[in-house]
Amino acid sequence: MSAAYTIEELMAVVIARDLKDGEKGLTGLASGDRTGVLAVGIPLVAMGLAQHMHAPNLTIFYGGVIVNPRLEDIRTRFDSGAGLHRLRAMARVTPEYTFGLTRRGEIDFGFSTGAQIDRYGNSNSTCLGPYESPQARLVGSVLQTEHFSQCGREYVVMDHRQRSFVNRVDFITGAGYLDSAHAREHAGLHASGPRFVVTELAVLGFNAATKRMQLESLHPGVGVGLVQERTGFALLVPDTIPITPPPTDEELAILRHRVNPYGHLLPREVSS
Amino acid sequence: MRLEEAAALIENGSTIGVGGFGVSGHPMALLSQLARQAARELTLLGIVNGNDADLLAGAGCLRRLETSAVALEEFGLAPNFRRAVESGSISLGEYTETTMMDRLLAASMGLSFFPTRVLRGSDVPKVNLDIREIMCPYTGEMYHVVPPARPQWALLHAPAADPYGNVLYPHADPLVEFDRLLSRAADQIIVTVEKIVSTETVESASREVLVPAFKTAAVVEVPFGAHPCAFGGWYDRDVAHLRHYVEAGRTPEGFKRYLDQFILGVDGHADYLHQVGGLSHLMSLRLNGMVGL
Repeated sequence: MSAAYTIEELMAVVIARDLKDGEKGLTGLASGDRTGVLAVGIPLVAMGLAQHMHAPNLTIFYGGVIVNPRLEDIRTRFDSGAGLHRLRAMARVTPEYTFGLTRRGEIDFGFSTGAQIDRYGNSNSTCLGPYESPQARLVGSVLQTEHFSQCGREYVVMDHRQRSFVNRVDFITGAGYLDSAHAREHAGLHASGPRFVVTELAVLGFNAATKRMQLESLHPGVGVGLVQERTGFALLVPDTIPITPPPTDEELAILRHRVNPYGHLLPREVSS
Repeated sequence: MRLEEAAALIENGSTIGVGGFGVSGHPMALLSQLARQAARELTLLGIVNGNDADLLAGAGCLRRLETSAVALEEFGLAPNFRRAVESGSISLGEYTETTMMDRLLAASMGLSFFPTRVLRGSDVPKVNLDIREIMCPYTGEMYHVVPPARPQWALLHAPAADPYGNVLYPHADPLVEFDRLLSRAADQIIVTVEKIVSTETVESASREVLVPAFKTAAVVEVPFGAHPCAFGGWYDRDVAHLRHYVEAGRTPEGFKRYLDQFILGVDGHADYLHQVGGLSHLMSLRLNGMVGL
């Protein structure tokens, strides 16, 4: 039995284990709110943990422009303003540099969150309801469209809510598998698409044959009923569902003492 | 030049590009002055906009917005942008971050289009009829193309400039490259600065000049000219003010009160700085970036 861990630590560990040495990963810029934790905090911790564990040559592109930031130095709220300015890093590069790399196909993976994701892994951060007369206008694409079409693979980090896991997104900001097994190739998309979605309940992958969202593993203590209840469409559920392996003592120690020592990337309270 | 004179250069119906990113680095004092002077029917071209676009939308200055995002970062959805789009009172050119950069790059090189692969599979080209397709004559591959984005005016806030408008930006963060790109794409530049410095100072730090003066139509010294945004290493964002801004923006009535208190009803930038908390409050936001200027 490992030490108690937060659900965000578990989510970061799940991603870290999937990253390979020598790869390059891209996140957006942080915000102090929940979106920031999902889109940037968990991804940065996952990449930092992977660097310490098994991927010392992994390169982090934070906010597209900060290369290999000293995550362990982050002692205050960090953001696109003073936090970004203060952050120590191996290099600072222009957006053209990193977005050029991304479009050349040299960024191995990226991270996203969104207001909606659907059963084919399409994601939406543009609007709720019809585009021309939206019930809610959201932030917009920012770089989400590029993430899904250009990064080698995409990790999606979400809070598991029925209103967010929808049968069909209202607007495809980021193209997942669109609507069928081979739709990405037909659309001219070369990158492989969303790798998995990790939430506070489960890891959700995509069926190899149909590209529909499928339950990969349940986090400890979570039942399949709860996951299905919080999902607005029928998930593919295999006969046997593994339990997400919890963080090991070594992973937790590195995560807390060397990657996120001041607790500004992830919340520190252990929730029940 | 005075802020009022600089803002008066921008005629109603103009196309502008605004420097900054999210809730960082926008020339907010200049935009507030545009609102005070009742600028109307502006088209705003941006890469990742934030409270700049939201303020102009809320003050009724915008006709059209072409951008990848209006992002208030941790402060949540941009209330006036949201209301303007949901009510149809502004028109929108839907783009993504790199396609807006491509459009500015095209304008900076005098090109009439720029090709991209990034939009494949997304709904963006379906709702934006300015995005077309062409075939690559070398490979036969189909590309989306986007039109150039050429603002008549790039509006920037920077640490310093000389009186001619050579813009000095020491220790610039990489996102300031967006400001440089805007300046390359635009016809003319209006820059507000924390401090006007001598040409000798600029020459002694010429590697840190963001924009040379030939396009600069106006330079205005405006301390805390990006408030309530964060501004590089100079000052942090005013979290309490931005929270109040978003809260006030939840209703048109609330935002009208905000505008009356901080934008329309103030007697210029000095009075604004007094209204938002005065010198002791502003000094609490200061970082240590002014060293050397």
